Amino acid sequence: MNGMGGEDEPYWQGLASGVLRLPRCGGCARWTWPAAHRCGQCGSTTMDWQDLPMRATLYSWTRTWHRFGLTEGLDLPFTSVVAAVDGCGIRLYGRLDDPDRIDPRIGEPLSGRIGETRVSDRAIPTIIWSRSA
Amino acid sequence: MTHPLYGTTAIAGVGLRQYRRGASPLPERSTLVEAILAACAEAGFDPAGIDGFVSYGDDKNEPVRLMPALGLRELRWSASVWGGGGGGIAGAFGIAAAAILSGQASAVVIFRALVEGGSGRMSAAVMAHHLNDHMLAAGLVSPAQVCAIRANRLFEHHGVPRGIVEELVRASYHHGSRNPEAVAYGQPFDADMLRHSRLIAEPFRLFDCSRENDGAGALLMVSAERARDLAKPPVYLLGCAQGTEAGWGDLLDNDDDDLYATAGFRPVARNLYAATGLSPADIDVVQLYENFDAQGVMSLIDHGFCTADSAADLIRFENLIADGGRLPVNTSGGNLAQGFIHGIGLAVEAVRQLRGESANPVAGARTCLLAGGPGSPTVSSAIFANSPG
Repeated sequence: MNGMGGEDEPYWQGLASGVLRLPRCGGCARWTWPAAHRCGQCGSTTMDWQDLPMRATLYSWTRTWHRFGLTEGLDLPFTSVVAAVDGCGIRLYGRLDDPDRIDPRIGEPLSGRIGETRVSDRAIPTIIWSRSA
Repeated sequence: MTHPLYGTTAIAGVGLRQYRRGASPLPERSTLVEAILAACAEAGFDPAGIDGFVSYGDDKNEPVRLMPALGLRELRWSASVWGGGGGGIAGAFGIAAAAILSGQASAVVIFRALVEGGSGRMSAAVMAHHLNDHMLAAGLVSPAQVCAIRANRLFEHHGVPRGIVEELVRASYHHGSRNPEAVAYGQPFDADMLRHSRLIAEPFRLFDCSRENDGAGALLMVSAERARDLAKPPVYLLGCAQGTEAGWGDLLDNDDDDLYATAGFRPVARNLYAATGLSPADIDVVQLYENFDAQGVMSLIDHGFCTADSAADLIRFENLIADGGRLPVNTSGGNLAQGFIHGIGLAVEAVRQLRGESANPVAGARTCLLAGGPGSPTVSSAIFANSPG
């Protein structure tokens, strides 16, 4: 299991301090995700981590009804999304506020806040997306 | 020039042991040994002469541990295809053939074994291969959820009609109901059973999903020349391709936009058809790995049998069944209705179908495509035939 301490550590540190921080190649300015040591396009190993507003477009989704192991910290059903972050195109996994169980629509605008997901004895920082009014 | 893999190795024997999940009468390794012995027995081959093994999907049975029970004299080749899912199943045949053709082994068993008491739940093992904090935070912990997200994009964004998955599921159960070895043997099935089964992860309901069995499958591969001296008619490997291309992989769902709602087979299918000189029109029957029905649809599209736009024309019950269908698929019942030991039953059925031994024989079938686990970061496919050229 990876996560804290990997190439994406600045991402987790960002969420822990309340901001969305994503990597952009210092050589060619491409946004790179998953985080990597080297830009495979230009060869640069300089990554600039930049803060971004938590605004995104819904790319796809699923609503989970079955109690899979490791999801015990979430009430069923819960809705997971792939959200394309505005301004950079990076897609992030996240959760969606879905109290009324209204099916999400691909392309819907989303805005996010930072919450957490309890997995076993850990609390992992998580972007919780809401449909933008 | 003919590709070196084309018709130069063959499957000489197959063995399959399948039980309800949690119900295997033997431990995992013993179940596997029994499947290997069955493969050797039908080939008329002394198991002591096996000298190589290949598996995939993080199988826990390290080949050296099989030596005592099988009475092997010498182990010369043991390998596994990287990747935690079923994507590597067909690639295992290419690795076995590479060993035989390069003289590094002469009799190689391709296998997969899964007994819950030994390896635990397969879905959990597959995910342990991929899980990270990004997925855990979103509650995405199972293959069903990961594939469901892609399925929603296929249906909603690419406009593939949702209902066509029912056609694939019905065809699988039609075949399974007539296969005495299948979990669905003797059981009627209709689309209402799928529509009313419980939700798992939208859009998937229970019967959209393959469900795990205990068991083991083994296939004995030797050179084509040697196979002709053994007891069963050889089933030849004509070609095999594995891998991926830039823009697809283990990318936290950052695959290229035009690849996202695929099963990842485009480069594999391209390479497989180029190496064999065959095209989708030359394929008589398909053993289609369907972890989930929507991924099976994506795989058929990737392999060129139809497009997203024409999927509804091809993927119809009457086209998919062995009884005169244009493209019979999963003639044993497949992962959905035969049973699911990480897909190895599909490879066994490919061989049986080409020998004329299937419970659902396809008249005149000469070629069979084995399409590996769709949606895996690396995938693989192979073509088998009952004549070498």
